[in-house]
Amino acid sequence: MQILQAYWIPKAVDVPIVREQLIGSAYQLEYPVVTSEKIREITALIQQNRVDYLQRLTTGDIVNKIDQAIQKWLNPGYPLRIQAEALLPIITGYDPEMVRLELKKYMRTFRKKELLRFLDEEFDQAAMLDEFRPRKSGGLSRVYGPRSIFHVFSGNVPGVQIWSLIMGLLLKSANLGKTSTAEPLLPVLFTQSLAEVDPQLAETIAILPWKGGMTELEKAAVNSAEAVVVYGSENTVKAVRKIVPLSKTFITYGHKISLAIIGKEALRPDCFYETVHKFAEDISIYDQQSCLSPQAVLVEAGSAISPKQFAQLLAAELARYAQKRPRATLSDEETMSIQNLRHQTELEAIKNENIAIYASKQDTSWTVIYHHQPGFDGSPLNRFIHVFYSEKLETDLGKMQPFENYLQSCGLAVSPERLFPIAERLGELGMNRLTQVGKMNSAKPGWHHDGRFNLLDFVRFTDIERGLEDTLERFDPDVE
Amino acid sequence: MRQDSIIMANQILSFIEGNSETNFNGLAVTLFQYQFQHNLPYKKFCQTKRKTPLTVKKWDEIPPMPIQGYKELMLACEPPEEAAAVFMTSGTTNPETKGKNYHPTLAVWDGSMNAPFKKFVLPDVDKMMIFVLSPAADLNEHSSLSRYLSNAVTYFGTENSRFFFTEAGLEMKTVASALRECEDRGEAVMLMGATFAYVHLLDYFLEKNLRFHLAAGSRIFDTGGFKGQTREIEMDKLYGMFAEIFNVKRNMCINMYGMTELSSQVYDQTILSTYESGQTIFDKTGPAWLKTMILDTDTLEPVPNGKSGVIAHYDLANWNSCLAILTEDIGYRTEHGFVILGRVQGSEARGCSIAIDQLMQSNE
Repeated sequence: MQILQAYWIPKAVDVPIVREQLIGSAYQLEYPVVTSEKIREITALIQQNRVDYLQRLTTGDIVNKIDQAIQKWLNPGYPLRIQAEALLPIITGYDPEMVRLELKKYMRTFRKKELLRFLDEEFDQAAMLDEFRPRKSGGLSRVYGPRSIFHVFSGNVPGVQIWSLIMGLLLKSANLGKTSTAEPLLPVLFTQSLAEVDPQLAETIAILPWKGGMTELEKAAVNSAEAVVVYGSENTVKAVRKIVPLSKTFITYGHKISLAIIGKEALRPDCFYETVHKFAEDISIYDQQSCLSPQAVLVEAGSAISPKQFAQLLAAELARYAQKRPRATLSDEETMSIQNLRHQTELEAIKNENIAIYASKQDTSWTVIYHHQPGFDGSPLNRFIHVFYSEKLETDLGKMQPFENYLQSCGLAVSPERLFPIAERLGELGMNRLTQVGKMNSAKPGWHHDGRFNLLDFVRFTDIERGLEDTLERFDPDVE
Repeated sequence: MRQDSIIMANQILSFIEGNSETNFNGLAVTLFQYQFQHNLPYKKFCQTKRKTPLTVKKWDEIPPMPIQGYKELMLACEPPEEAAAVFMTSGTTNPETKGKNYHPTLAVWDGSMNAPFKKFVLPDVDKMMIFVLSPAADLNEHSSLSRYLSNAVTYFGTENSRFFFTEAGLEMKTVASALRECEDRGEAVMLMGATFAYVHLLDYFLEKNLRFHLAAGSRIFDTGGFKGQTREIEMDKLYGMFAEIFNVKRNMCINMYGMTELSSQVYDQTILSTYESGQTIFDKTGPAWLKTMILDTDTLEPVPNGKSGVIAHYDLANWNSCLAILTEDIGYRTEHGFVILGRVQGSEARGCSIAIDQLMQSNE
């Protein structure tokens, strides 16, 4: 029996009580009993460690250290990676092979070159994070990240928490992460890797699991942080928003919907199969739990296969994928949500021949609902997709308007000359990211996450004006 | 009614009255054939499930109609406009979106209600004084619960039985004085009403600091329960309050579970088991013409005892619509019957994707 910590705190802190929870057979997870006092003690300490150490590192140093930790994760034999690959499937229920593949793909997006790109994407000069740097328009500027960030991590698409922590490190902030009970482990393992590279760096991080909604704890964490970032449902965001004073930076990544649009050009005899195959992967990876996964697709008529045939082929592909990489085991709530929507559709289909359902017979593994009309709709997730019919895509894009507050990514497969007109319209509708079908789940480093900046949203600038610079010259005792 | 409908209804009625030669399975299969023939939307539904009278030989092979079907489809073997009664689900005010169960005759429904009521609610007495806290049939002709309550008083209530729910709502003050009278006379009384009706009443009694020492044999009947995950806790709290305020112990409290989409009810075995053996069994069970299955929510296959799943009922008294229905309630089977955990709540995405249930919530 191997015992693993499901938390990370600076060495100097003693967690009062530790309880254990058995998962699988070979491992036990250790959870701390978190109190408001402990949160205050821990945040005070990581903030002090930041002042004493992290704040003095250059951004270049930090990038190198993160890169070294990432390099470890890119080695298949790295013990922590092996642990993550063994444990994440047990904790989250995702297929082990899928976790293994997605995790390594994800880690690769944090290599040094990507981190540098990420910094360059947002700052004219990343060195502004280290010192005052001249600006092209005159004067000098320096960027300050928050002294400390409180991260409220969401559910269990493994990895997103790491991205958030890396941002915090690049900003030289002390980081307190609240993990979700659905996936408490990966941020801890990653911090452990950072500790292997540089123990002092890891002393500026704390990862604590507790059940969301324990307002006293969240208040303590919010009060000790300069910035708060929340990932999660509207309810989670609302709950935290209530306790964050206006004076603090508050960034939220709420739940989102992604869609796909497939033109007749992508359904020609020579490419329709590839399109369907790739799209089935977009749906299956992480069972649509990631907001980058599509919930509905608009398919254009007039090519080798009709939208209805697309739906049927997609069903066959999903069945194949489910054989290869089965979906996670769901809660009664989740399966019933699928069953209810399936029933709803079956009953509608009795009256209305414009609706058809193609679904796994034995269980709720996968479901395709075909609507012989244009539209978009939300899904109960877990490999459940709506396919809508379109005569001409451009005419029907407005159908996504009811979802405008939630639009995130759009998988697009059309001929090149249609890209700009469609992109213009999607942009207006609030779509944040257009990407190729088959890659919907892998956003690129430096993307405008939910349509916004990443690092820039957290920082403040201090400017030294050109006039001041010049005027001060006059006070040089040695001036002519 | 068509001739074959009259024959079908009579067959069911004889089964209910215990005079039938046929067993449950035989009658269920016959009824399925009848419904397949006369209930066209149900027939289409069965065909999509690849189930026909040719393939169905056992009652548990009959495809259960999801209760949404009672909203979406017209599920009736006899013409709905000729129905003697139509019961509708509550919840929304728009009749278009209400679930409807048509009853060409109420003889079967009444027959299915009466005998089990006697067995589970009044095993020890023939009649007793009944105080009803929820609307009776004259106030709400489309509510199966209202018919149930009115029937209870008609067939099992002594002459002092009363209805306390009027157009003005529940007359709590009158309830209090009526209870005080029973207390003084030392006469046992049964309170009957929807679970939430008690919540208001108890609040009122607590506020006025009223307590009653109801006579032995008094009992409390509630139905409906609470929604949501705290259901069990809230029910426990409620029964605790019953003991405190009415002096009625848990083993004399009975919860009935009924649905508009069904024509029979299931009951806690509290009163019956206490009366028969002195041991109290809480688990629910129903009459011989109703079978309840617990199905895996993923595969819709039966689960072993103790494992939770979605509840399906096979109710022969539901002869005019669908004898098999699939509910949205979660429960588990036990040695003595089954336990209802409550309606499934909408599911939340575990990751950053928004699930349709949440989307609907945020648009409400």
